[in-house]
Amino acid sequence: MGVTRRDFMKIAATSAAGAVVFAGCSIPEREFQIQSPVRIPEDVLAGGDAWYASVCRQCLAGCGIIVRVMEGRAKKIEGNPDHPLNRGKLCARGLAGVQLLYHPDRVARPLIRTGERGRAEFRSVSWDEALRELTQRLQNLVGQQAGNTVVIITGPLTGYRAEIVRRFARALGADHLQLATPDQTVVRAAQRRAFGSDFLVDFALEQANYVLSFGADFLGTWVSPVRYSRGYGDFRQGRPGTRGTLVHVDPRFSTTAANADEWLAVKPGSEGLLALSIAHVLVNENLANPAAIQALTAGAGPAAFNPFRPELVSDAVGVPPERIREVARAFGRTRPAVAIAGGVAGAHTNGTFNLVAAYALNYLVGSVGLGRPVRLVARPPYGDVPYTPNPATVSQWQALSSRLDTGRPRPVQLLILFDADPVYQLQYLGFEKVLGKAGYIVSFSTLLDDTAAYADLVLPAHTYLEDWGDEVTDPAPSYPVIGFQQPIVNPFYDSRSFFDVLLSLARAVGGRLQAELPWPNLREAIREGARQLHRSGRGSVQAVDFEAFWNGVLQRGGWWDTAAAVEAVPTPPSLPAQPPVARFQGDAREYPLVLIPFEPIGVASGGPLAGLPWLQAVPEPVTTLVWHTWAEVGPETARRLGLAEGDVVAVESPVGRIEVPVYVNLGMPPGVVAVPLGRGQRQYGRYAQGRGANVLGILAPLTDEDSGALAYAATRVRLVRTGRRARVVKFEGAVPPFGFEHERPVQVTRG
Amino acid sequence: MRLAQRQILRLGLIAGGLVAALIPLAVLGVVIVSAAGLPPAFLRPQVTQPIAFPHNVHVQAARLDCTFCHRNVATGAAATVPAVEQCMFCHQVVATERPEIQKLISYWQQNQPINWNRVHRLPDHVHFVHSVHVQRGFACSTCHGAVENVGKEGVQQVRPLKMADCVNCHRENNGPTDCGVCHY
Repeated sequence: MGVTRRDFMKIAATSAAGAVVFAGCSIPEREFQIQSPVRIPEDVLAGGDAWYASVCRQCLAGCGIIVRVMEGRAKKIEGNPDHPLNRGKLCARGLAGVQLLYHPDRVARPLIRTGERGRAEFRSVSWDEALRELTQRLQNLVGQQAGNTVVIITGPLTGYRAEIVRRFARALGADHLQLATPDQTVVRAAQRRAFGSDFLVDFALEQANYVLSFGADFLGTWVSPVRYSRGYGDFRQGRPGTRGTLVHVDPRFSTTAANADEWLAVKPGSEGLLALSIAHVLVNENLANPAAIQALTAGAGPAAFNPFRPELVSDAVGVPPERIREVARAFGRTRPAVAIAGGVAGAHTNGTFNLVAAYALNYLVGSVGLGRPVRLVARPPYGDVPYTPNPATVSQWQALSSRLDTGRPRPVQLLILFDADPVYQLQYLGFEKVLGKAGYIVSFSTLLDDTAAYADLVLPAHTYLEDWGDEVTDPAPSYPVIGFQQPIVNPFYDSRSFFDVLLSLARAVGGRLQAELPWPNLREAIREGARQLHRSGRGSVQAVDFEAFWNGVLQRGGWWDTAAAVEAVPTPPSLPAQPPVARFQGDAREYPLVLIPFEPIGVASGGPLAGLPWLQAVPEPVTTLVWHTWAEVGPETARRLGLAEGDVVAVESPVGRIEVPVYVNLGMPPGVVAVPLGRGQRQYGRYAQGRGANVLGILAPLTDEDSGALAYAATRVRLVRTGRRARVVKFEGAVPPFGFEHERPVQVTRG
Repeated sequence: MRLAQRQILRLGLIAGGLVAALIPLAVLGVVIVSAAGLPPAFLRPQVTQPIAFPHNVHVQAARLDCTFCHRNVATGAAATVPAVEQCMFCHQVVATERPEIQKLISYWQQNQPINWNRVHRLPDHVHFVHSVHVQRGFACSTCHGAVENVGKEGVQQVRPLKMADCVNCHRENNGPTDCGVCHY
C-alpha cells in the first residue's frame, strides 16, 4: 500500500502540514501589494529608468560615471561614455559604489560617545543636538582666540571642496592635513622635476608602440587605472596590424607584469639605476636625442652616463647586462616609445630619483610634448582654488603625533576628520596611542572607521552618490577636464554633506569664518566655479545663459576643453651624477626579505572600500586571493624556509609583526615578500571587521628623501613560522579546468 | 465504504510521514499543486482593498478615462496606480464626508502610501508591457474585463492570464510568439 503521487498532492494541499509547506515557499506577501505613492513623482516614470552623470570617488582618478536610477533608487553604476578620461569604462571599485550607498552598517544618524574612546560605544542624537554641541565648542575656541588648536584631517581634495576646507582652516588659524597612504606625492614631486608641471602628465599609451614601465602597476591600481587600461587596450589591439610591446620593471609579479611581454624583476629600489643604464645604452648606440643628453647631464655630455654601463650596474640592479642592452635597443629603435614610472619604484628612500631617471628616458627618445605620447595638461579656467591634492608628508604626521602627545607647541582641542582614517592609515606611527589625547574628536563618516571609534561625535556623511562635488581631473587626458558630481538619489539615511556642515558651522560662529565662506552650500560654491568656466566661453559645453550651461555640465558629467594644449616642450631635468641608493630599515642578515606592500584591485588602504563585500571578493588578479591578507613569497624563499601554502607566518619587521598565511607565488623573485594593503580594520562594518592584517602597522617610517612621502617599500622583514595553518581563500582551483581532448591533428594545408 | 476506510488509514500514515518529508518536498509543493490543476499560487481568491474604490462611479458618473489615473499605461510597462496626491486633486472637495473618502484623506494627511492588494499578478519570469498593447489598440477590457461596471466589491481577475491565454491571443492577432518576447 503505497502513497501515490496524487494522494500526496491531495493531502499536501488540504492538510495543516501542507499549509506549512506552502507558506514556507510561497511568494512574499508584499509581492501581492501595489503601492500608491503619496505624491506624484514628476520626474519618475514607473518601471522606467533615468541615468544621471556624476563623478566616481572610489579612488582619486575621478572617472566619469552614469548611474541608473529607478523610482528614486540607484541601481547600477557604469562608466560615462562621454567622459574623456574613462570613455564609458569603469573598474570594480567604481561598480561597487552602490554597495556603499546601501551598506547595512552605514552611520545612519549622529552619534555621541558613551563608552571609552576606541570602544565604539555611542548613543544616537538628533542633528540639532549634535550641531549645537559642535557649534558651542567651536564658538568657545574662537572666543578664546584658540582657533589654532583645531586640526582638520581629510582625504585628498581638489577644487571647491578643497577650497571650503582650506578657507575654514585659514579663518580659524587651524591646520588642514590631507591623508592618503600610499599617496601620489612622489609621482607629483618627480613629475614636477621631470616635466616642470604641477599637473600630472598624460601617458597616452594608445599612441605608443613600446612601453617601458617602472613599477607603475597601471593595469592594477596606479593613479588612473581605467584611463591607462583603455590606452593599453588600444596599444595592444586598437590598431590593426600593430601590437605594442610592453616591458615592465617590478620587484613583484604584479598585474601589469603579468600582462607584459617581458618582466624585469629588479632589486627593490634600483629602478633609477636601471633607467640610467638604459640611458647609457641609448646614448652610446646613437639612439638618443643629443640635445636631451646635454640637458640631462647639465652639459657634461655622453660621458656622464659611463658609470652606468650595464656591466657595471648589473649586480646592483639584478638584471643581466645583455637583457638591459636588448631592452634599451628595442626602446630606442621603436617609435614612439614611452617610459612610465611610479608605484613601488617611488616607494623607496630614493623614490623621486628613481622616477625622474625613468621619466628622463622619454626625452632621450623624443616622446615628450604636444602630439607625443607624454603630454602636459593645460590649466583650466576654474578660479583660484586648489587644483591638485596636497597630502601631508610623514614628518608633518610625526609633528602632529608629537603635538597630540605633548600638547606642544599647542594642544589639539578639536580634531575634525572626514574621509581619513589616521588610526588605520598612520598605524606605522602608532597614531592610535596619541589620538586619545585630543580634546574633542569629530568624525564625519559613512561607515564607522577605526578613527571614528575614538570620536566623541560621529556625524553621518553623505556618500558621493548623495552629495555635490567637483573634481579637477588629474591626470587629465591631455587636456583639462573638470568633473561635476551631483546627488544621484535623495539621502538614504539622515546624513549630510561634510562641506555643507562646515559652511553652516561658519555661519553659526560668524565673524571671520562667515566672511571667508560666503557660500550657502557646496552646490553654490561649485556653481561659482562653473560660472568661470561658462565665462571662459571655451570647452565642451557652451551656452549664452548660465543655467543652460549648468544643466549642460551636469548632464554630461563635466566640462572639458579639447582645444586647450600646452605647446611648449618642457626642459629635461638634470640627473644627479651620484644616484642616491635606496636605504632600508633592518639589517639584511637579520631581516633577509624586502617587504613590498601593494594595493590589490579590490580594497584600498583607507576609505570604506574594504567594507564593501563585492570588493572583498574581487580576486587579486595574479594570485586570485580574496577576503584576507596574505604573504606572497617565491618558490625559492618558500623552499628555503620550508613553507607551503597555508602556513601561518609572522611577518616581523624591526618595528612590528603581523600574522598571515603564506601563498607561494611562482612569479615572485627571491629576496622579497609581498603583502597586500587594505585589510585588518577593526571597524568599517560587518564585511571588513577583523579580517586580515594591516601591513602599514609594521612599516618603518622611512621617507623619500626628496618629497618626504612614506617610503613604504623600504622595510626589511623576516618570516617566522607559527606552526599554525590556515586556509588560503582563493578563486584559483575552484573551477575545474576545461578538459581538452587530444585528437590526432588533421592536416589542412599542403607542404 | 471500504475504500473510504483505506483512505483514512492512508491519511494517518501520510500525516506522520509528511512532517519528516516537509523540507525536501517544500520546494516541489508549488509545482505539484499547479500541475494538479488546483489554483496556482499567483492567483488569489477575492481580495479586499484598504479603500473600497468603485471604478463604476469614476468611469460612468465622472466620465474619467482609464489613463486619467493609470497614467503610465500608454508609456511604460506598468499601468501604475495613481498617487494619493492625484486622488486628492478632486477629493479635497468631492464627497469628503463619505467614510471611504475619509480614509483617503487620512492617508494624505498622515503622508502614508496606500498599499493596495494586487489583483493581476504575472510571475516574475514574464514581462508584460502595457504600452505596447495599448498602442496596438487593444482595449483595457480585453484582459481586465468590464472594469467600468465594477463597484465597491472590487476588481477581480477575469481571464486566466496564463501562458496559453497569452499565446492564443498573440496567435489570433498575429502577435509575436518567440519565447524572448515575454521571457527576457
